[in-house]
Amino acid sequence: MKTHWQILVVDDEEVMCESLAAWLREDGYLVDTASSGREAVAKATQRDYAIYFVDLKMPGGMDGIETMMQIRRRYPEASIIIITAYATVDTAITAMKEGAQEYIVKPCNPEEISLLVSRIVKVKNLQRENSILRKKLSRQYRFQDIVSKNPRMHQILSLAQEIAPLRSTVMIQGESGTGKELIARAIHNSGDRAQKPFVAVSCAALAETLLESELFGHEKGAFTGAAERRIGKFEMADGGTIFLDEIGDISPKLQIDLLRVLQERCFYRVGGQEEVRVDVRVIAATHVNLQQAVADGKFRDDLFYRLNVIEIRVPALRDRCEDIPLLAGHFLERLSHELGRDVEEISEGGLRVLMDYRWPGNVRELENAVERAVVTCRGRALTEEDFAFLRENGHFRTWAVPPSMTLEEMEKIAIIATLQRTGGNIKESAALLGIDRSTLYEKIKRYEVPR
Amino acid sequence: MKYLYAAATPGVNREVLAAIVEGALAKFGAPVGQVELAGIEFAYDAARNQYGSIPVLEMLAKRIPKDACKLLAVTERDLFIPVLTFVFGHAQLGGSVGVISLARLRQEFYGLPPNREVFLERAVKEALHETGHMFGLVHCADRSCAMSLATNVRQIELKRAAFCVGCAARLPLTGEVE
Repeated sequence: MKTHWQILVVDDEEVMCESLAAWLREDGYLVDTASSGREAVAKATQRDYAIYFVDLKMPGGMDGIETMMQIRRRYPEASIIIITAYATVDTAITAMKEGAQEYIVKPCNPEEISLLVSRIVKVKNLQRENSILRKKLSRQYRFQDIVSKNPRMHQILSLAQEIAPLRSTVMIQGESGTGKELIARAIHNSGDRAQKPFVAVSCAALAETLLESELFGHEKGAFTGAAERRIGKFEMADGGTIFLDEIGDISPKLQIDLLRVLQERCFYRVGGQEEVRVDVRVIAATHVNLQQAVADGKFRDDLFYRLNVIEIRVPALRDRCEDIPLLAGHFLERLSHELGRDVEEISEGGLRVLMDYRWPGNVRELENAVERAVVTCRGRALTEEDFAFLRENGHFRTWAVPPSMTLEEMEKIAIIATLQRTGGNIKESAALLGIDRSTLYEKIKRYEVPR
Repeated sequence: MKYLYAAATPGVNREVLAAIVEGALAKFGAPVGQVELAGIEFAYDAARNQYGSIPVLEMLAKRIPKDACKLLAVTERDLFIPVLTFVFGHAQLGGSVGVISLARLRQEFYGLPPNREVFLERAVKEALHETGHMFGLVHCADRSCAMSLATNVRQIELKRAAFCVGCAARLPLTGEVE
């Protein structure tokens, strides 16, 4: 995809700068211009440019080579093309030695520039694909990979970062699809155990006996079909982390076994006599309310307290609506690249549908919705129609006035929702709400609306 | 309803202009008109023996008729932008003026015997391409689409005188052009 790659054209001659920029824009790239080396270096800190066209001769004490060196020092992966009106072998050699990817003489043949840029973009696309695939393969998620601007999520991420180096057991509670495993992996990868295994087990997927043998392993002949000795997930995770997903679904018998492992750090393989000692950090996750399960007598309270040493509650996506545009944009960028579709943005109408939907399946459902829309859409932007399938599910916000709601509370909700919808744009929000800006500021202050 | 104008500069054959109007401009959702323009000698660059397309676009922006939505000028002069050796045409991306040059579209330019049909076909494709830019279209990866980038006549030959489905979908429908 072209539009992901931004280009900066640096030339003190405005007409050169603008004509090249305009020509590259026609090719679909996002192009900025800078009229001096200094301006180019300043712009490079604000935006991530993939390609720089830098004129060799520029006044002001900072020529093209110096500009290139400063940019490369900070962004070694940037591709820099030096352009000049006066070609000499010496300058070409200097430019290439200092790290220029190419050296072109103006005026140059349009074919030459076109081939040059498409060659660089091809390499950049491959590099990017490679890094996405590597990440996918190793699933080496880090905290930086979790996309959110929600204050509650920020608190969770900073707590998770603090506890990453500890061995304490962590309990992650949250609805299905909120990213519990992603957080567990990030905790594992940020701690001392990062080089050791991360083993994930879905406790809901297996029957009691199978899960027991899956977790603790079994000896040869322990049960029919146990032809070989097999080590379990706890042993596999030795030195690392075991992630027990859907812990609320395990049977009372397994609850006792698990309690023993957590207390003693040792267990027996199924059918085994020998005690196995392991050093494993346990991160458990559940979508059910475990406190309630304890109160109902379905989950052992002693196990609950053992697991719940550090508690992380991941909010549902509908409770952090401000993340919807951010996450949707993130998925769009990744998926359009992975699926090879030239889809660049989500239209205002499309975003409105996403904001109004209640997302019972949370972030995972949002990712799937964006993927489906990218596959089926016909234009370069995902529109309301591309997300029409969500309407069939019927999970849309419906407006009902709660019995004891005051007018002020209603006004506050309307202001918060409008600010979220406009990304915090006061002018736009005021226009949508039908009030002037100063009134909106006053109300934001009065209702202590977070911005 | 605003018009999509084709503007001939001196020396441009009426037959070429008619082909451009019929084969290219009439395909957009607006009525088409024709105007005549003065020469573009003011844009001549003696050092390059070519004509700058940027001053031409600036002039067109000043001369655009009041009832026009877009204005595409056609010239026999060889055009350039400062950073490139030549351009087949130049238009404001998403703007209202554009220009195409016929100079490099003739077989004679490449030392080959003249071929009227080939020449007219190339002119129509380039007119479609630059008008597409005026309607906000950028280059298309589909080599057969009129919006694919052509830096030589071989690449113009590969194009059809039509937009691919994706580019066509981004154009305004008849009656929607403002």
